[in-house]
Amino acid sequence: MADDMANRYQVMEELGSGSFGTVYKAIDKHTGEIVAVKHIDLESSEDDIQEIQQEISVLATCASAFVTQYKASFLKGHKLWIVMEYLGGGSCLDLLKPGVFNEAHVAIVCQQLLQGLEYLHAEGKIHRDVKAANVLLSNTGKVKLADFGVAAQLVNIKSQRNTFVGTPFWMAPEVIQQAGYDFKADIWSLGITAIEMINGEPPHASTHPMKVLFLIPKQPAPRLEGNDYSNTFKDFVAQCLTKDPDRRPSAKELLRHKFIRNAGKTEALQELIQRKQEWDAGRGASKDVKYYAESLNTLTKPPPPEDDEDWVFDTVKAPTMWVPKGKDWTTLDEEDDDCDPAELLQDMHISQQPPAPPKHQVNPAVQANSTVRRTPNVERSAERSPSIRRANTKRRSSGVKQPLGLDLSFGNSPSTVRQFRRVSDNVPNESTTPKVPPGFDENASPKPLSSSESTSKEAQLGRRAYSRAIGMSCQEVLANTGDGEKREAISRLAEAWSDLEMVDPEGLCHIIRTMNERLQADPRLSSLIPAAPAQPDSPSRPRLVLAQNNPHLKSHRRRQSTHGVDPLPQSPPRSSMPGQNVPGMEHTKQLSDVLYQRWAEGLRNRWGI
Amino acid sequence: MADADFAPIEINTSPDQVHALVQATLQEDLLYDLSRIIHLLPFEARKDTQTIFSHILRFRPASYATDKDPPVISYIVHNRPEILVELCRGYTQTQSAMPCGVILREALKFDVVTAVILYDQSHEGEPAVRLSELKPNLPQNGDGVFWNFFEWINKSNFEVSADAFTTFRGSMQEILTRHKSLVTAYLATNFELFFGRFNDILIQSDSYVTKRQSIKLLGEILLDRANYNVMMAYVESGDNLKLCMKLLRDDRKMVQYEGFHVFKVFVANPNKSVAVQRILINNRDRLLRFLPKFLEDRTDDDQFTDEKSFLVRQIELLPKEPVDRSRTSRESPSGANTAAVA
Repeated sequence: MADDMANRYQVMEELGSGSFGTVYKAIDKHTGEIVAVKHIDLESSEDDIQEIQQEISVLATCASAFVTQYKASFLKGHKLWIVMEYLGGGSCLDLLKPGVFNEAHVAIVCQQLLQGLEYLHAEGKIHRDVKAANVLLSNTGKVKLADFGVAAQLVNIKSQRNTFVGTPFWMAPEVIQQAGYDFKADIWSLGITAIEMINGEPPHASTHPMKVLFLIPKQPAPRLEGNDYSNTFKDFVAQCLTKDPDRRPSAKELLRHKFIRNAGKTEALQELIQRKQEWDAGRGASKDVKYYAESLNTLTKPPPPEDDEDWVFDTVKAPTMWVPKGKDWTTLDEEDDDCDPAELLQDMHISQQPPAPPKHQVNPAVQANSTVRRTPNVERSAERSPSIRRANTKRRSSGVKQPLGLDLSFGNSPSTVRQFRRVSDNVPNESTTPKVPPGFDENASPKPLSSSESTSKEAQLGRRAYSRAIGMSCQEVLANTGDGEKREAISRLAEAWSDLEMVDPEGLCHIIRTMNERLQADPRLSSLIPAAPAQPDSPSRPRLVLAQNNPHLKSHRRRQSTHGVDPLPQSPPRSSMPGQNVPGMEHTKQLSDVLYQRWAEGLRNRWGI
Repeated sequence: MADADFAPIEINTSPDQVHALVQATLQEDLLYDLSRIIHLLPFEARKDTQTIFSHILRFRPASYATDKDPPVISYIVHNRPEILVELCRGYTQTQSAMPCGVILREALKFDVVTAVILYDQSHEGEPAVRLSELKPNLPQNGDGVFWNFFEWINKSNFEVSADAFTTFRGSMQEILTRHKSLVTAYLATNFELFFGRFNDILIQSDSYVTKRQSIKLLGEILLDRANYNVMMAYVESGDNLKLCMKLLRDDRKMVQYEGFHVFKVFVANPNKSVAVQRILINNRDRLLRFLPKFLEDRTDDDQFTDEKSFLVRQIELLPKEPVDRSRTSRESPSGANTAAVA
């Protein structure tokens, strides 16, 4: 059934990334109508799916010319598709890219928005995320409110909300203070949006979003000042930005404001759309159009063939039966050994897709997100500030590392992905990432090697050399380097290594080997290589075998690996073998005893055992 | 339609007028008619109907004691329970599903309403069960309106299915958290029917949302302290354990994760049945290899990590052979879900 629904739509290029999904342009094959389809990946959403249903129920009960029209929603695998009216003019934020709006344009947009808000508020709904990015224009200049990702439905007209949602710069003081708020919060955001349209950015735009949360309640409300603005406009903004929500006018009242009454017709907004089109054309037209690509993990497919390597539910089989079978149930793929199922599953997605974009390519966007919004220039596209959704409920993107990585490859070029990150997510990131070469963060996993990915021993070695030796050494050197220019050069080098490792681990292995051989060949350079137990790469020599618990072995290995010397493709990656860490495991056992005690106690209390 | 001139009742009328209007509504049997025809109304009228309906259900005269059920609720459960059944049947139509769902969830806040919906077994056109006629000790035949929710959740399109699930979960949570006497009787009397359908239809649903949400709900039902007996009965069954272990190996991480929270109850149970012990013992080595790597990337989830290591410990401590602590053979007590075995 769901597939039928999905097949009804021919999905085309990406329109943008909203607060928690990617929006595509699509054609409804039954009617020929162009629609916008939002894809929400439910697997990456930790909290209750019910909250996403909330958006749908708010949308589905809206029918207004000033609100984007909802059409349908359905599931495809673990992606939720929401079909909406398509608006060809783009968002006000897009239209701001070529330059700011004039007052006449702002008046028209505000007048239209107020009618949208009047409708919503009469319906007992609060939008909670009014900002230029969420205001869409049709080709003819009609203005519509969009993105109900955080909208709320009040059960009865007088009730209030406490949830902390929205986007910091546009948030009303009472929302931030969580003192309970109602639909007046949208009016404040409208005032900020007006400033955004006339100035190109909201107040405090150069401040960190988290800091803004302190500024808004504390400082006097922003005002438009100076001779650049008309008095009626200044008054309109001042009325919207009344700190006391009780004294702040309603949408209905504001529709009678002189600034709004004098607003022109929406057709005038076509100028803005045209300006944007010309601006785009001037920049070489089709920049990075991303087309929808069906990612395999969207489909609900039967799980990969597992033959009979599943759990054993037959009571006949003795518990030891699996041993003679070798790899047994974890083996989904005959070739791979010692890797866990999760890793394998993950691999399967990866292998059927263009390689997941390296994590670090995302970082620029992440940083841009929370940094300064200076002039309206090209970078703006990456700077859409994320909305905070239900920041006080427990929402984390699950498995931040893998699933997100997969989803990024949804379009094709990851470089301009407008990466959505919740503020709460990227704050810690942001403080640590600035100059550290990105290859080092989560990406350079401490895991010795993921043999599952490798196609050959050399590739394994290459990866291992990278993760164990090169990455670490670069990081070490970087840590000891103070000079900015030098640091940057090192970062670039590290990045290059990381790219190589991603694309061609075998090549990486070859480089290291050749490099090593050459170093050794040169009498003076060979001193760079630690004396170590002679030339490890001469296969004729009998290998020195150390007892597993020999302390020298450890340091030997460490030395070997820090210098990236493991040039024998045949030598097994010993330290990754199971059992290696046995001596170190005792403390974890104690720990688990303690945990067990604590848990058992908790259970006993809970169940009254 | 009938409600067009009805819309403005909430606007500043005197309490007496409202009271009289509510009385008239009941006399004219307007709520029943509305609940049957809501799908025929135009878009805005459906929303109005939903608002008015909810207001009438909540209506309390000024003198009315706040601890008593509102008068309209009492009237419905004693005299016109068909209204509730018709509201549930709103899920058979896309147009009526959402407004009926909102009204129902409002009504389900009252345990008398929940009781009627749980126990009604009337067919279309037959009178529904009245509150005074409930027979909690009689097992359900599985055709009643409450049991239809399984099908509505499973068969409908996403919007209807999701709304039906919300109502279903709402009714479960209401009876679980507030109306404990109801749940003891109902789940105890209908244990196999209920969990049989729950396992077969919801947990094994093809719909990602239904599957994930129902596993979560199952975990909540089992871990609610009030449900101790239900939980013990559930985790005694080897078939239930098998179903649950399959969830751990689902290819979607969130399904694995929700499945874990059910699985842990089986393992943590100090009095495991022989059937459960046997499965765990037979899979001990697999589990000990599987669990440490299970959802490894949840590094920031301390409770999860704690629970995982607790389970590993428990599995290590399992005896070599199943031990029958109860000295009575109570293997595979629930045959309701043999379908779980692939």
